[in-house]
Amino acid sequence: MTENDEIKRLLSTIAFQNDQAAYKELFILLHKRLKQFGYAILKSNEEAEELVSDIFIKIWEKKEKLVSIESPLLYFYTTAKNLAFNRLQKQKRLKSLNPEEWLMQVNSIPLNPEELMMTAEMLNKIKRAVNELPPRCKLIFKLVKEDGLKYREVAELLQLSVKTVEAQMAIALRRLGRCMHIELKTAANLGFSLKK
Amino acid sequence: MGYQENFWVLFSKKLSNEATTDELKELENLIKDNSEWQYAIQNLEDLWKHQPAKDYSHEDDAYMLHIHRMKELGVPFGEMPDNQMPVKSKKKRMLWYSVAAAAMVIAGFFLFGSFSGKNKSNKNQIVREVNEISTRPGSKSRVELPDGSIVWLNAGSKLTYNKDFGKEKREVTLVGEGFFDVTKNKEKPFIISTASINIKVLGTVFNVKAYSEDKQTETSLLHGSIEVTIKSRPNDKIILSPSEKLIVENQITSVVTTGFKRTKENITRTAIPDISTLVSINKLTYNPDDSTVAEAQWINNKLIFRDETFSDLAVQMERWYNVNIEIKNEKVAQQRLNGTLETETITQALDALQETTPFRYEKTGNKVVIH
Repeated sequence: MTENDEIKRLLSTIAFQNDQAAYKELFILLHKRLKQFGYAILKSNEEAEELVSDIFIKIWEKKEKLVSIESPLLYFYTTAKNLAFNRLQKQKRLKSLNPEEWLMQVNSIPLNPEELMMTAEMLNKIKRAVNELPPRCKLIFKLVKEDGLKYREVAELLQLSVKTVEAQMAIALRRLGRCMHIELKTAANLGFSLKK
Repeated sequence: MGYQENFWVLFSKKLSNEATTDELKELENLIKDNSEWQYAIQNLEDLWKHQPAKDYSHEDDAYMLHIHRMKELGVPFGEMPDNQMPVKSKKKRMLWYSVAAAAMVIAGFFLFGSFSGKNKSNKNQIVREVNEISTRPGSKSRVELPDGSIVWLNAGSKLTYNKDFGKEKREVTLVGEGFFDVTKNKEKPFIISTASINIKVLGTVFNVKAYSEDKQTETSLLHGSIEVTIKSRPNDKIILSPSEKLIVENQITSVVTTGFKRTKENITRTAIPDISTLVSINKLTYNPDDSTVAEAQWINNKLIFRDETFSDLAVQMERWYNVNIEIKNEKVAQQRLNGTLETETITQALDALQETTPFRYEKTGNKVVIH
Protein backbone atom coordinates (compact mmCIF):
# COMPACT_ATOMS: atom_id res chain seq x y z
CA MET A 1 0.00 0.00 0.00
CA THR A 2 1.46 3.35 -0.93
CA GLU A 3 1.38 6.24 1.46
CA ASN A 4 -1.27 7.95 -0.65
CA ASP A 5 -3.47 4.85 -0.35
CA GLU A 6 -2.97 4.82 3.39
CA ILE A 7 -3.97 8.49 3.59
CA LYS A 8 -6.99 7.86 1.37
CA ARG A 9 -8.08 5.08 3.67
CA LEU A 10 -7.78 7.35 6.70
CA LEU A 11 -9.63 10.17 4.95
CA SER A 12 -12.55 7.95 4.09
CA THR A 13 -12.68 6.54 7.62
CA ILE A 14 -12.80 10.11 8.88
CA ALA A 15 -15.47 11.08 6.38
CA PHE A 16 -17.78 8.12 6.75
CA GLN A 17 -17.38 7.29 10.41
CA ASN A 18 -16.48 10.64 11.91
CA ASP A 19 -13.59 8.70 13.31
CA GLN A 20 -11.42 10.70 15.70
CA ALA A 21 -8.83 7.93 16.02
CA ALA A 22 -8.25 7.97 12.26
CA TYR A 23 -8.09 11.76 12.37
CA LYS A 24 -5.42 11.59 15.02
CA GLU A 25 -3.51 8.96 13.07
CA LEU A 26 -3.54 11.15 9.99
CA PHE A 27 -2.32 14.12 12.00
CA ILE A 28 0.52 12.10 13.45
CA LEU A 29 1.47 10.76 10.03
CA LEU A 30 1.63 14.17 8.33
CA HIS A 31 2.40 16.69 11.04
CA LYS A 32 6.17 16.69 10.81
CA ARG A 33 6.51 17.11 7.06
CA LEU A 34 3.75 19.69 6.77
CA LYS A 35 5.31 21.66 9.58
CA GLN A 36 8.70 21.49 7.87
CA PHE A 37 7.14 22.65 4.63
CA GLY A 38 5.31 25.44 6.44
CA TYR A 39 8.53 26.43 8.16
CA ALA A 40 10.38 26.46 4.85
CA ILE A 41 7.97 29.14 3.61
CA LEU A 42 7.11 31.03 6.79
CA LYS A 43 10.45 30.74 8.65
CA SER A 44 8.67 30.61 11.98
CA ASN A 45 8.08 27.54 14.08
CA GLU A 46 5.02 28.99 15.74
CA GLU A 47 3.41 29.97 12.48
CA ALA A 48 4.25 26.61 10.94
CA GLU A 49 2.58 24.85 13.86
CA GLU A 50 -0.53 27.00 13.44
CA LEU A 51 -0.48 26.31 9.74
CA VAL A 52 -0.64 22.55 10.31
CA SER A 53 -3.44 23.07 12.80
CA ASP A 54 -5.31 25.20 10.23
CA ILE A 55 -4.93 22.48 7.60
CA PHE A 56 -6.39 19.89 9.94
CA ILE A 57 -9.26 22.14 10.97
CA LYS A 58 -10.05 22.38 7.28
CA ILE A 59 -9.81 18.62 6.97
CA TRP A 60 -12.29 18.12 9.79
CA GLU A 61 -14.72 20.73 8.52
CA LYS A 62 -14.66 19.51 4.92
CA LYS A 63 -14.24 15.84 5.64
CA GLU A 64 -17.16 14.75 3.48
CA LYS A 65 -15.50 16.25 0.40
CA LEU A 66 -12.15 14.66 0.92
CA VAL A 67 -12.89 11.16 -0.23
CA SER A 68 -12.54 11.99 -3.90
CA ILE A 69 -9.02 13.41 -3.77
CA GLU A 70 -6.77 11.73 -6.30
CA SER A 71 -3.42 12.46 -4.69
CA PRO A 72 -3.86 13.34 -1.01
CA LEU A 73 -0.20 14.22 -0.45
CA LEU A 74 -0.31 16.77 -3.25
CA TYR A 75 -3.57 18.09 -1.77
CA PHE A 76 -1.99 18.53 1.67
CA TYR A 77 1.07 20.29 0.30
CA THR A 78 -1.02 22.52 -1.93
CA THR A 79 -3.30 23.45 0.97
CA ALA A 80 -0.23 24.16 3.10
CA LYS A 81 1.20 26.38 0.39
CA ASN A 82 -2.04 28.29 -0.13
CA LEU A 83 -2.60 28.87 3.58
CA ALA A 84 1.03 29.94 3.97
CA PHE A 85 0.63 32.36 1.05
CA ASN A 86 -2.43 33.89 2.71
CA ARG A 87 -0.36 34.53 5.80
CA LEU A 88 2.54 36.00 3.83
CA GLN A 89 0.25 38.30 1.89
CA LYS A 90 -1.38 39.58 5.07
CA GLN A 91 2.06 40.25 6.48
CA LYS A 92 3.21 41.77 3.17
CA ARG A 93 6.18 39.38 3.08
CA LEU A 94 5.93 39.01 -0.68
CA LYS A 95 9.56 38.02 -1.22
CA SER A 96 8.88 34.75 0.58
CA LEU A 97 6.36 33.71 -2.07
CA ASN A 98 9.24 32.64 -4.29
CA PRO A 99 10.30 28.96 -3.89
CA GLU A 100 13.92 30.11 -4.24
CA GLU A 101 13.47 31.57 -0.75
CA TRP A 102 12.10 28.43 0.84
CA LEU A 103 14.43 26.57 3.16
CA MET A 104 13.56 22.92 3.12
CA GLN A 105 15.22 20.15 5.08
CA VAL A 106 16.09 16.74 3.72
CA ASN A 107 15.50 14.13 6.41
CA SER A 108 16.48 10.93 4.72
CA ILE A 109 20.25 11.10 4.72
CA PRO A 110 21.47 8.42 7.11
CA LEU A 111 23.38 9.39 10.23
CA ASN A 112 25.73 6.42 10.25
CA PRO A 113 27.78 5.40 7.26
CA GLU A 114 27.26 1.76 8.26
CA GLU A 115 23.58 2.03 7.36
CA LEU A 116 24.53 2.31 3.71
CA MET A 117 27.88 0.55 3.75
CA MET A 118 29.83 3.61 2.78
CA THR A 119 32.75 5.42 4.33
CA ALA A 120 32.22 8.21 6.84
CA GLU A 121 34.10 10.51 4.52
CA MET A 122 31.76 9.83 1.65
CA LEU A 123 28.69 10.29 3.82
CA ASN A 124 30.01 13.64 5.05
CA LYS A 125 30.49 14.74 1.48
CA ILE A 126 26.94 13.69 0.67
CA LYS A 127 25.54 15.60 3.63
CA ARG A 128 27.42 18.67 2.59
CA ALA A 129 26.29 18.29 -0.99
CA VAL A 130 22.64 18.02 0.08
CA ASN A 131 22.95 21.07 2.33
CA GLU A 132 24.51 23.07 -0.44
CA LEU A 133 21.83 22.34 -3.02
CA PRO A 134 20.03 25.53 -4.08
CA PRO A 135 16.80 25.91 -2.05
CA ARG A 136 14.40 25.14 -4.89
CA CYS A 137 16.44 22.16 -6.02
CA LYS A 138 16.59 20.80 -2.47
CA LEU A 139 12.84 21.25 -2.09
CA ILE A 140 12.14 19.36 -5.31
CA PHE A 141 14.56 16.59 -4.36
CA LYS A 142 12.90 16.25 -0.93
CA LEU A 143 9.36 16.10 -2.30
CA VAL A 144 10.22 13.47 -4.89
CA LYS A 145 12.48 11.32 -2.73
CA GLU A 146 10.76 11.45 0.63
CA ASP A 147 7.11 12.02 -0.23
CA GLY A 148 7.09 10.17 -3.51
CA LEU A 149 5.43 13.03 -5.38
CA LYS A 150 5.42 12.66 -9.15
CA TYR A 151 7.32 15.18 -11.28
CA ARG A 152 4.06 16.65 -12.59
CA GLU A 153 2.73 16.98 -9.04
CA VAL A 154 5.82 18.87 -7.93
CA ALA A 155 5.52 21.00 -11.06
CA GLU A 156 1.91 21.80 -10.20
CA LEU A 157 2.70 22.58 -6.57
CA LEU A 158 5.60 24.89 -7.37
CA GLN A 159 4.17 26.32 -10.60
CA LEU A 160 7.03 25.04 -12.70
CA SER A 161 7.22 23.04 -15.90
CA VAL A 162 7.79 19.30 -15.67
CA LYS A 163 11.00 19.84 -17.63
CA THR A 164 12.31 22.14 -14.93
CA VAL A 165 11.59 19.53 -12.26
CA GLU A 166 13.36 16.97 -14.40
CA ALA A 167 16.40 19.21 -14.77
CA GLN A 168 16.49 20.09 -11.06
CA MET A 169 16.36 16.42 -10.12
CA ALA A 170 19.23 15.69 -12.48
CA ILE A 171 21.26 18.50 -10.89
CA ALA A 172 20.61 17.14 -7.40
CA LEU A 173 21.57 13.59 -8.30
CA ARG A 174 24.60 14.71 -10.23
CA ARG A 175 25.90 16.67 -7.28
CA LEU A 176 25.42 13.65 -5.03
CA GLY A 177 27.06 11.46 -7.63
CA ARG A 178 30.10 13.73 -7.56
CA CYS A 179 30.62 12.70 -3.94
CA MET A 180 31.13 9.23 -5.28
CA HIS A 181 33.66 10.23 -7.91
CA ILE A 182 31.34 9.23 -10.67
CA GLU A 183 32.31 12.03 -12.98
CA LEU A 184 36.03 12.05 -12.38
CA LYS A 185 36.85 9.14 -14.61
CA THR A 186 34.32 9.74 -17.30
CA ALA A 187 35.13 13.41 -17.37
CA ALA A 188 38.75 12.52 -17.92
CA ASN A 189 37.75 10.01 -20.60
CA LEU A 190 35.62 12.51 -22.40
CA GLY A 191 38.05 15.36 -21.93
CA PHE A 192 35.74 17.45 -19.71
CA SER A 193 37.10 19.55 -16.91
CA LEU A 194 35.39 19.71 -13.58
CA LYS A 195 34.43 23.03 -12.13
CA LYS A 196 35.13 22.11 -8.52
CA MET B 1 21.84 17.60 -24.30
CA GLY B 2 25.27 16.41 -23.30
CA TYR B 3 26.15 12.87 -22.63
CA GLN B 4 26.52 13.43 -18.89
CA GLU B 5 23.40 15.55 -18.51
CA ASN B 6 21.38 12.95 -20.33
CA PHE B 7 22.63 10.25 -18.01
CA TRP B 8 21.63 12.22 -14.90
CA VAL B 9 18.18 13.06 -16.23
CA LEU B 10 17.52 9.43 -17.07
CA PHE B 11 19.00 8.10 -13.87
CA SER B 12 16.97 10.43 -11.64
CA LYS B 13 13.86 9.51 -13.63
CA LYS B 14 14.57 5.88 -13.00
CA LEU B 15 14.91 6.43 -9.27
CA SER B 16 11.71 8.48 -9.16
CA ASN B 17 9.74 5.92 -11.16
CA GLU B 18 9.23 8.44 -13.92
CA ALA B 19 11.17 6.75 -16.70
CA THR B 20 9.49 5.14 -19.69
CA THR B 21 10.56 1.74 -20.99
CA ASP B 22 12.54 3.37 -23.78
CA GLU B 23 14.29 5.67 -21.36
CA LEU B 24 15.19 2.77 -19.11
CA LYS B 25 16.69 0.99 -22.06
CA GLU B 26 18.67 4.04 -23.08
CA LEU B 27 19.97 4.37 -19.53
CA GLU B 28 20.94 0.73 -19.46
CA ASN B 29 23.02 1.17 -22.59
CA LEU B 30 24.71 4.26 -21.16
CA ILE B 31 25.62 2.34 -18.05
CA LYS B 32 26.84 -0.63 -20.04
CA ASP B 33 29.25 1.60 -21.91
CA ASN B 34 30.52 3.12 -18.67
CA SER B 35 30.99 0.26 -16.25
CA GLU B 36 33.04 2.47 -13.92
CA TRP B 37 29.80 4.27 -13.00
CA GLN B 38 28.49 1.15 -11.39
CA TYR B 39 29.83 1.90 -7.92
CA ALA B 40 28.31 5.36 -7.70
CA ILE B 41 25.04 4.15 -9.19
CA GLN B 42 24.76 1.47 -6.56
CA ASN B 43 25.48 3.95 -3.77
CA LEU B 44 22.98 6.45 -5.09
CA GLU B 45 20.33 3.78 -5.39
CA ASP B 46 20.92 2.75 -1.77
CA LEU B 47 20.82 6.35 -0.68
CA TRP B 48 17.60 6.89 -2.60
CA LYS B 49 15.90 3.98 -0.90
CA HIS B 50 16.93 5.15 2.54
CA GLN B 51 13.95 6.72 4.22
CA PRO B 52 14.03 8.82 7.37
CA ALA B 53 13.48 6.91 10.58
CA LYS B 54 9.87 7.26 11.60
CA ASP B 55 10.08 9.34 14.70
CA TYR B 56 6.68 10.47 15.83
CA SER B 57 7.67 11.26 19.40
CA HIS B 58 6.63 14.91 19.23
CA GLU B 59 3.43 14.43 17.31
CA ASP B 60 1.27 13.57 20.28
CA ASP B 61 1.97 16.87 21.96
CA ALA B 62 1.34 18.67 18.71
CA TYR B 63 -1.96 16.86 18.33
CA MET B 64 -3.04 17.85 21.84
CA LEU B 65 -2.20 21.47 21.13
CA HIS B 66 -4.14 21.25 17.89
CA ILE B 67 -7.23 19.84 19.62
CA HIS B 68 -6.92 22.52 22.27
CA ARG B 69 -6.66 25.22 19.63
CA MET B 70 -9.65 23.82 17.76
CA LYS B 71 -11.66 24.01 20.93
CA GLU B 72 -10.57 27.59 21.57
CA LEU B 73 -11.50 28.59 18.05
CA GLY B 74 -14.89 26.98 18.61
CA VAL B 75 -14.59 24.35 15.88
CA PRO B 76 -17.09 21.62 16.70
CA PHE B 77 -15.21 18.38 17.12
CA GLY B 78 -17.37 16.30 19.42
CA GLU B 79 -15.82 14.54 22.34
CA MET B 80 -12.26 15.22 23.33
CA PRO B 81 -9.82 12.42 22.70
CA ASP B 82 -9.28 11.64 26.37
CA ASN B 83 -12.94 10.87 26.61
CA GLN B 84 -13.04 7.75 24.54
CA MET B 85 -15.72 6.79 22.11
CA PRO B 86 -17.82 3.89 23.24
CA VAL B 87 -15.89 0.71 22.84
CA LYS B 88 -18.67 -0.99 20.97
CA SER B 89 -18.29 1.16 17.91
CA LYS B 90 -14.63 0.36 17.82
CA LYS B 91 -15.18 -3.28 18.24
CA LYS B 92 -15.99 -3.85 14.64
CA ARG B 93 -13.39 -1.54 13.32
CA MET B 94 -10.58 -3.33 11.62
CA LEU B 95 -7.65 -1.07 11.50
CA TRP B 96 -4.64 -2.64 9.94
CA TYR B 97 -1.47 -0.83 9.35
CA SER B 98 1.38 -1.39 7.03
CA VAL B 99 4.57 -2.56 8.63
CA ALA B 100 5.89 0.95 8.81
CA ALA B 101 2.74 2.25 10.39
CA ALA B 102 2.81 -0.50 12.96
CA ALA B 103 6.32 0.47 13.84
CA MET B 104 5.03 3.98 14.21
CA VAL B 105 2.32 2.78 16.53
CA ILE B 106 4.84 1.04 18.71
CA ALA B 107 7.21 3.96 18.79
CA GLY B 108 4.68 6.74 18.78
CA PHE B 109 2.15 5.61 21.29
CA PHE B 110 4.74 5.49 24.00
CA LEU B 111 3.92 9.02 24.94
CA PHE B 112 0.20 8.62 25.07
CA GLY B 113 0.50 8.78 28.83
CA SER B 114 -0.14 12.46 28.54
CA PHE B 115 -3.80 11.73 27.95
CA SER B 116 -4.25 9.41 30.85
CA GLY B 117 -5.35 10.03 34.36
CA LYS B 118 -7.72 12.85 33.53
CA ASN B 119 -10.79 10.75 33.06
CA LYS B 120 -13.92 12.63 33.77
CA SER B 121 -15.20 11.25 37.02
CA ASN B 122 -18.83 10.41 36.91
CA LYS B 123 -20.03 9.80 40.40
CA ASN B 124 -23.30 8.27 39.33
CA GLN B 125 -21.57 5.53 37.40
CA ILE B 126 -22.34 1.98 38.30
CA VAL B 127 -19.03 0.81 39.55
CA ARG B 128 -19.04 -2.82 38.50
CA GLU B 129 -20.18 -2.41 34.94
CA VAL B 130 -17.93 -4.34 32.60
CA ASN B 131 -16.74 -3.62 29.08
CA GLU B 132 -16.03 -6.61 26.95
CA ILE B 133 -14.33 -6.66 23.57
CA SER B 134 -14.05 -9.94 21.75
CA THR B 135 -12.86 -11.04 18.34
CA ARG B 136 -14.18 -13.98 16.40
CA PRO B 137 -11.85 -16.58 14.92
CA GLY B 138 -10.41 -15.23 11.69
CA SER B 139 -10.68 -11.57 12.71
CA LYS B 140 -8.68 -9.10 14.76
CA SER B 141 -9.30 -5.79 16.41
CA ARG B 142 -7.53 -2.74 17.79
CA VAL B 143 -8.80 -1.30 21.04
CA GLU B 144 -7.87 1.97 22.66
CA LEU B 145 -8.44 1.91 26.41
CA PRO B 146 -9.59 5.00 28.33
CA ASP B 147 -6.03 5.69 29.49
CA GLY B 148 -4.75 5.76 25.92
CA SER B 149 -3.18 2.32 26.06
CA ILE B 150 -3.57 0.33 22.88
CA VAL B 151 -4.44 -3.34 22.72
CA TRP B 152 -4.45 -5.35 19.51
CA LEU B 153 -6.62 -8.40 19.95
CA ASN B 154 -5.79 -11.45 17.89
CA ALA B 155 -8.46 -13.78 16.53
CA GLY B 156 -10.70 -15.58 18.98
CA SER B 157 -9.72 -13.44 21.97
CA LYS B 158 -11.54 -11.55 24.69
CA LEU B 159 -10.54 -8.51 26.71
CA THR B 160 -12.64 -7.27 29.63
CA TYR B 161 -12.30 -4.32 31.97
CA ASN B 162 -14.50 -2.49 34.43
CA LYS B 163 -16.21 0.74 33.45
CA ASP B 164 -14.23 2.53 36.13
CA PHE B 165 -10.97 1.45 34.53
CA GLY B 166 -8.27 4.03 35.14
CA LYS B 167 -10.03 5.76 38.00
CA GLU B 168 -8.08 4.08 40.74
CA LYS B 169 -6.50 1.17 39.02
CA ARG B 170 -6.00 -0.17 35.55
CA GLU B 171 -7.02 -3.79 35.38
CA VAL B 172 -8.00 -5.96 32.45
CA THR B 173 -8.51 -9.67 31.93
CA LEU B 174 -7.42 -11.45 28.79
CA VAL B 175 -8.37 -14.72 27.21
CA GLY B 176 -6.52 -15.31 23.96
CA GLU B 177 -3.75 -13.16 22.50
CA GLY B 178 -3.18 -9.44 22.87
CA PHE B 179 -0.39 -7.06 21.92
CA PHE B 180 -0.26 -4.34 24.57
CA ASP B 181 1.15 -0.87 24.29
CA VAL B 182 0.58 0.49 27.75
CA THR B 183 0.85 4.20 28.52
CA LYS B 184 3.14 5.14 31.36
CA ASN B 185 1.53 5.86 34.72
CA LYS B 186 3.59 5.00 37.76
CA GLU B 187 0.74 5.75 40.16
CA LYS B 188 -1.61 3.30 38.49
CA PRO B 189 0.07 0.09 37.43
CA PHE B 190 -1.61 -1.73 34.59
CA ILE B 191 -2.55 -5.29 35.54
CA ILE B 192 -3.51 -8.05 33.13
CA SER B 193 -5.00 -11.26 34.47
CA THR B 194 -5.06 -14.42 32.44
CA ALA B 195 -6.12 -17.87 33.54
CA SER B 196 -2.64 -18.77 34.73
CA ILE B 197 -0.70 -15.55 35.27
CA ASN B 198 -0.96 -11.92 36.34
CA ILE B 199 1.16 -9.31 34.65
CA LYS B 200 1.93 -5.98 36.25
CA VAL B 201 3.32 -3.17 34.13
CA LEU B 202 4.01 0.51 34.44
CA GLY B 203 4.19 1.36 30.77
CA THR B 204 5.67 -0.76 28.03
CA VAL B 205 5.09 -2.84 24.91
CA PHE B 206 4.55 -6.57 25.03
CA ASN B 207 2.56 -9.48 23.71
CA VAL B 208 0.53 -11.93 25.79
CA LYS B 209 -0.68 -15.20 24.35
CA ALA B 210 -3.08 -16.96 26.69
CA TYR B 211 -5.56 -19.00 24.70
CA SER B 212 -7.44 -21.45 26.85
CA GLU B 213 -6.86 -24.25 24.35
CA ASP B 214 -3.08 -23.75 24.21
CA LYS B 215 -0.65 -25.72 26.31
CA GLN B 216 1.30 -22.64 27.28
CA THR B 217 0.86 -19.02 28.19
CA GLU B 218 3.51 -16.83 26.57
CA THR B 219 4.50 -13.31 27.56
CA SER B 220 6.92 -11.57 25.16
CA LEU B 221 8.44 -8.26 26.20
CA LEU B 222 9.57 -5.79 23.54
CA HIS B 223 10.30 -2.67 25.62
CA GLY B 224 10.36 -1.66 29.26
CA SER B 225 9.92 -4.13 32.06
CA ILE B 226 7.05 -6.16 33.46
CA GLU B 227 6.45 -8.23 36.54
CA VAL B 228 4.73 -11.56 36.13
CA THR B 229 3.09 -13.54 38.91
CA ILE B 230 2.03 -17.11 38.28
CA LYS B 231 -1.31 -17.67 39.89
CA SER B 232 -0.39 -21.07 41.29
CA ARG B 233 2.79 -19.63 42.83
CA PRO B 234 1.72 -16.21 44.06
CA ASN B 235 4.89 -15.58 46.07
CA ASP B 236 7.26 -15.83 43.13
CA LYS B 237 7.56 -12.73 41.07
CA ILE B 238 9.34 -12.89 37.74
CA ILE B 239 10.73 -9.69 36.27
CA LEU B 240 11.13 -9.85 32.51
CA SER B 241 13.71 -7.79 30.65
CA PRO B 242 13.28 -6.59 27.08
CA SER B 243 13.59 -9.27 24.38
CA GLU B 244 12.62 -11.99 26.83
CA LYS B 245 9.73 -14.35 26.60
CA LEU B 246 8.20 -16.10 29.56
CA ILE B 247 6.52 -19.42 28.86
CA VAL B 248 4.26 -20.91 31.48
CA GLU B 249 2.92 -24.39 30.95
CA ASN B 250 -0.78 -24.25 31.56
CA GLN B 251 -2.10 -26.68 34.11
CA ILE B 252 -3.45 -29.61 32.29
CA THR B 253 -6.03 -31.67 34.02
CA SER B 254 -7.05 -35.21 33.40
CA VAL B 255 -5.40 -37.35 30.84
CA VAL B 256 -3.69 -35.74 27.96
CA THR B 257 -4.98 -37.87 25.18
CA THR B 258 -3.05 -38.76 22.09
CA GLY B 259 -1.70 -35.25 22.05
CA PHE B 260 -2.39 -34.56 18.42
CA LYS B 261 -6.11 -34.92 18.11
CA ARG B 262 -7.71 -31.86 19.53
CA THR B 263 -11.30 -31.98 20.42
CA LYS B 264 -13.36 -29.97 22.83
CA GLU B 265 -13.04 -32.67 25.48
CA ASN B 266 -9.33 -32.58 25.98
CA ILE B 267 -8.90 -28.86 25.98
CA THR B 268 -11.13 -28.20 28.95
CA ARG B 269 -8.83 -27.37 31.76
CA THR B 270 -9.49 -26.45 35.31
CA ALA B 271 -7.02 -25.04 37.74
CA ILE B 272 -5.65 -27.60 40.08
CA PRO B 273 -3.18 -25.81 42.28
CA ASP B 274 -1.06 -28.77 43.28
CA ILE B 275 0.11 -29.59 39.82
CA SER B 276 3.43 -27.86 39.53
CA THR B 277 3.72 -25.29 36.82
CA LEU B 278 6.57 -25.38 34.39
CA VAL B 279 8.12 -22.03 33.71
CA SER B 280 10.88 -21.04 31.34
CA ILE B 281 12.40 -17.79 30.14
CA ASN B 282 13.50 -17.66 26.52
CA LYS B 283 14.74 -15.10 24.06
CA LEU B 284 12.36 -13.59 21.55
CA THR B 285 12.57 -14.84 18.00
CA TYR B 286 13.93 -12.12 15.76
CA ASN B 287 13.49 -12.33 12.05
CA PRO B 288 17.07 -12.12 10.71
CA ASP B 289 16.03 -10.18 7.60
CA ASP B 290 14.58 -7.10 9.22
CA SER B 291 14.91 -7.80 12.98
CA THR B 292 11.20 -7.74 13.55
CA VAL B 293 9.95 -9.81 16.46
CA ALA B 294 8.18 -12.95 15.31
CA GLU B 295 5.99 -13.02 18.43
CA ALA B 296 4.38 -9.70 17.51
CA GLN B 297 4.04 -10.13 13.77
CA TRP B 298 0.41 -11.10 13.90
CA ILE B 299 -0.47 -7.44 14.33
CA ASN B 300 0.93 -6.99 10.82
CA ASN B 301 -1.27 -9.80 9.62
CA LYS B 302 1.50 -12.35 9.58
CA LEU B 303 1.36 -15.73 11.19
CA ILE B 304 4.96 -16.71 11.85
CA PHE B 305 5.93 -20.14 13.13
CA ARG B 306 9.42 -21.19 14.11
CA ASP B 307 10.18 -24.79 14.91
CA GLU B 308 6.63 -25.53 15.97
CA THR B 309 4.91 -28.86 15.71
CA PHE B 310 2.19 -29.20 13.12
CA SER B 311 -0.33 -29.82 15.87
CA ASP B 312 0.59 -26.53 17.59
CA LEU B 313 0.48 -24.73 14.25
CA ALA B 314 -2.90 -26.30 13.49
CA VAL B 315 -4.37 -24.66 16.61
CA GLN B 316 -3.08 -21.28 15.44
CA MET B 317 -4.35 -21.86 11.92
CA GLU B 318 -7.76 -22.72 13.31
CA ARG B 319 -7.97 -19.27 14.88
CA TRP B 320 -6.29 -17.54 11.96
CA TYR B 321 -8.57 -18.98 9.29
CA ASN B 322 -11.61 -19.79 11.42
CA VAL B 323 -11.52 -23.44 10.47
CA ASN B 324 -11.45 -26.71 12.31
CA ILE B 325 -8.36 -28.82 11.73
CA GLU B 326 -8.03 -32.45 12.71
CA ILE B 327 -4.73 -34.25 12.28
CA LYS B 328 -5.22 -37.97 12.07
CA ASN B 329 -1.62 -38.90 11.50
CA GLU B 330 0.53 -38.59 14.59
CA LYS B 331 3.78 -38.52 12.69
CA VAL B 332 2.55 -35.52 10.74
CA ALA B 333 1.26 -33.91 13.96
CA GLN B 334 4.71 -34.04 15.53
CA GLN B 335 6.50 -32.74 12.43
CA ARG B 336 8.33 -29.46 13.19
CA LEU B 337 7.69 -26.57 10.83
CA ASN B 338 9.01 -23.10 9.99
CA GLY B 339 7.32 -20.49 7.88
CA THR B 340 5.23 -17.35 7.52
CA LEU B 341 1.64 -17.09 6.43
CA GLU B 342 0.42 -13.74 5.24
CA THR B 343 -2.06 -13.44 2.43
CA GLU B 344 -2.42 -17.12 1.68
CA THR B 345 -5.81 -18.74 1.84
CA ILE B 346 -6.15 -21.87 3.93
CA THR B 347 -5.86 -24.02 0.82
CA GLN B 348 -2.75 -22.18 -0.38
CA ALA B 349 -1.26 -22.52 3.08
CA LEU B 350 -1.88 -26.25 3.22
CA ASP B 351 -0.49 -26.70 -0.27
CA ALA B 352 2.65 -24.82 0.75
CA LEU B 353 3.06 -26.94 3.86
CA GLN B 354 2.77 -30.04 1.74
CA GLU B 355 5.96 -29.08 -0.03
CA THR B 356 8.04 -29.68 3.07
CA THR B 357 5.90 -32.19 4.90
CA PRO B 358 4.24 -35.03 3.07
CA PHE B 359 0.56 -35.32 4.02
CA ARG B 360 -2.85 -35.45 2.42
CA TYR B 361 -5.83 -33.34 3.41
CA GLU B 362 -9.53 -33.13 2.78
CA LYS B 363 -11.36 -29.87 3.14
CA THR B 364 -15.10 -29.77 3.47
CA GLY B 365 -16.54 -26.39 4.35
CA ASN B 366 -14.81 -25.18 7.49
CA LYS B 367 -13.41 -28.54 8.36
CA VAL B 368 -9.97 -29.80 7.37
CA VAL B 369 -8.86 -33.35 7.99
CA ILE B 370 -5.17 -34.14 7.64
CA HIS B 371 -3.99 -37.69 7.01
